Amino acid sequence: MEMRDIEYNKSSYVETSLGNKVSRQTILCGSQNIVLQGKVIVQQDSIIRGDLGNVRTGRYCIISKDVVIRPAHKKFSKGVAFFPLNIGDHVYIGEKSIVNAAMVGSYVYIGKNCVIGRRCQLKDCCVIEDNTVLAPETVVPSFTRYSGNPGVQVDDVPECQMDLMVDFTRSYYQHFVPEKRSKVES
Amino acid sequence: MSSKQTPKISSGALVCGDNKMHGDITFGTNSIVHPSCTISAESGPIIFGDTCIIEEQAKIIHRVPFYRTDKNPVMFIGSNNVFEIDCTVEAAKIGNNNIFEPKCFVGNKVTITDGCVIGAGCVLTDEQVLPKNTIVHGSGCKQREALDQPNPQFGLMDTLMRLLPNYHHIRKPIKKP
Repeated sequence: MEMRDIEYNKSSYVETSLGNKVSRQTILCGSQNIVLQGKVIVQQDSIIRGDLGNVRTGRYCIISKDVVIRPAHKKFSKGVAFFPLNIGDHVYIGEKSIVNAAMVGSYVYIGKNCVIGRRCQLKDCCVIEDNTVLAPETVVPSFTRYSGNPGVQVDDVPECQMDLMVDFTRSYYQHFVPEKRSKVES
Repeated sequence: MSSKQTPKISSGALVCGDNKMHGDITFGTNSIVHPSCTISAESGPIIFGDTCIIEEQAKIIHRVPFYRTDKNPVMFIGSNNVFEIDCTVEAAKIGNNNIFEPKCFVGNKVTITDGCVIGAGCVLTDEQVLPKNTIVHGSGCKQREALDQPNPQFGLMDTLMRLLPNYHHIRKPIKKP
């Protein structure tokens, strides 16, 4: 099934040479510590806290509206350190989710309204359903589906999850197009 | 109620510039306010105690129920409270050492004492007084009692005090007379 076009206002987005599409209404703190590897969509009102630690995303990441991405901290005897947050390729993060993880693998689907607790590890090819709350330091193994509050494994994910996510994020990027109407008016 | 008042910030507090604040707000010493949170003193002043952490997207709203008729009510928030990402707190009385986890909602009829933890995604709206050391958790918002209070996160605060001024505009504290 072909995806419907998602139109955005061209003047409110910045497109970089690597193909990243970043909304102007985002709050990117410490932008020198944020690396977007290319073809990443960051939608409006999302917050990426690069001031606390390095944030690195892979290719074809989709960060929806009102998402908060912040590196996790850990208490050591000498004080508190923030870990760099690595996000793999082809990751979708749904609206209003909070990602406080230590690591997010590739081909991960995070639904809407999720809370990924402190220092969680999401391995490759896992699915977090909508409204899930993952307790701090949860490790989500590959090919599992987590749901509920607190999040527990409810199901397995088929082995083709990698291809599904590649298709999904690619087509999302291709169908995330500027509004055509504004071109006609101008 | 004048909405364009500048918040009163005690010395040692760290309040980032780009957040929404309305009304009469007072921050105690060593409080940390992250960017893009909302603090709205609609029906009366809000007074924060010492060493509170308010993270991004947290909404602290002072909105008394319509049947309360006491004049100019004050929202008191004690010391060592942590308001995590995207929590909504309207409770008019909050004690010390409480943690409000991400996406929790506390209505304006609730009174919170000391050492409580409101778990992620929990909703409290009924008129109640949470006893000391209560933990609200899970999808059914079950309540149980903890053995002791959560530790104040002094290490985290030191790190934030060091990190945040490098990247954000900081509102200047007002010197006490």
